[in-house]
Amino acid sequence: MAGGLVHPLLISTELGLDNAVINGQSVEFKHVFYTWAAMAILIVVGLIVKRKLKMVPSGAQNVLELIIGGLEDFTINNMGEAGRRYVPLLCGIFLFILCMNLLGLVPGFDAPTANLNTTASMATCIFLYYNFLGLKSWGPKYIKHFMGPMPVLVPLMLPVELVSHLARPVSLSLRLFGNIRGEELVLVIFFTLVPLFATLPIYFLFGLAKTLQAFIFFLLAMLYIKGAIEHAH
Amino acid sequence: MRRLVGGKGGKARKDPALMDSLGRASTMGLHMVSGIIVGGLIGYWLDEWLDTGPWLKVVFFPIGVAAGFRNVYLDAKLLMKTQDDTDGNKSEKAD
Repeated sequence: MAGGLVHPLLISTELGLDNAVINGQSVEFKHVFYTWAAMAILIVVGLIVKRKLKMVPSGAQNVLELIIGGLEDFTINNMGEAGRRYVPLLCGIFLFILCMNLLGLVPGFDAPTANLNTTASMATCIFLYYNFLGLKSWGPKYIKHFMGPMPVLVPLMLPVELVSHLARPVSLSLRLFGNIRGEELVLVIFFTLVPLFATLPIYFLFGLAKTLQAFIFFLLAMLYIKGAIEHAH
Repeated sequence: MRRLVGGKGGKARKDPALMDSLGRASTMGLHMVSGIIVGGLIGYWLDEWLDTGPWLKVVFFPIGVAAGFRNVYLDAKLLMKTQDDTDGNKSEKAD
């Protein structure tokens, strides 16, 4: 566990899946294991909800429709009708990150987003995707997005814009990783101080904070896609 | 499907508005820092690679700082726009 602190109980340790051997090298496998756990949870919930879809939603369908409907409205308020195409990706990433973040609060599980590899891979994915969308919708003219408002300032603005675009995946991945890792550390420390009772009240705060982090990732991904497909300046 | 969701839209929309402002505001700090980190790292790596002493660090660090400021500037502009939008909605509702 993080910072040399021992997690009280981990399913992956019990199953002996903390490390995987690839090409004779021992590689950390914990975060992949819990990422797969999050994927399994989402897929199973999705299948259960899909099996009995009703016109008047109830139970799990109600919750999912509330989340996805709210996010869809939000996306379309921000991006206009053009945003509807990207709702599946954005909602998918929100639910995936939310699920992974909240896994950290479940006893026996660790949040995969507390590992920089998980968050960096998702941030890289978003970075490549929005640049691909920009290139697809603007072709060579996409360079105008990097040139600033005035032609005189192009030599100054081009490197600044390039660096600021490269900074986006860095800040995306570092923010999510730092927040979740910090929360996991606090939970483990509180657990070692006063087992069980100290961790319970803080669950509510962290539940909110983890939802907020998932929402921020979703929000920024949406803003980047919006910036890539709309007119430069 | 849309119609069903639309019925609950009123309640669902308030939460994202708060989350929206909270999210945008809390991203600004790291946006500033990440620009500087990336600028500094590019300078450092290019210097290591091309063996050009401190010069590329000197060039790229200010670019990183400028990029950080630009990120925060864009964030502030967006935040202002969202606030205007929500204020506009409120006054519309009041009328």
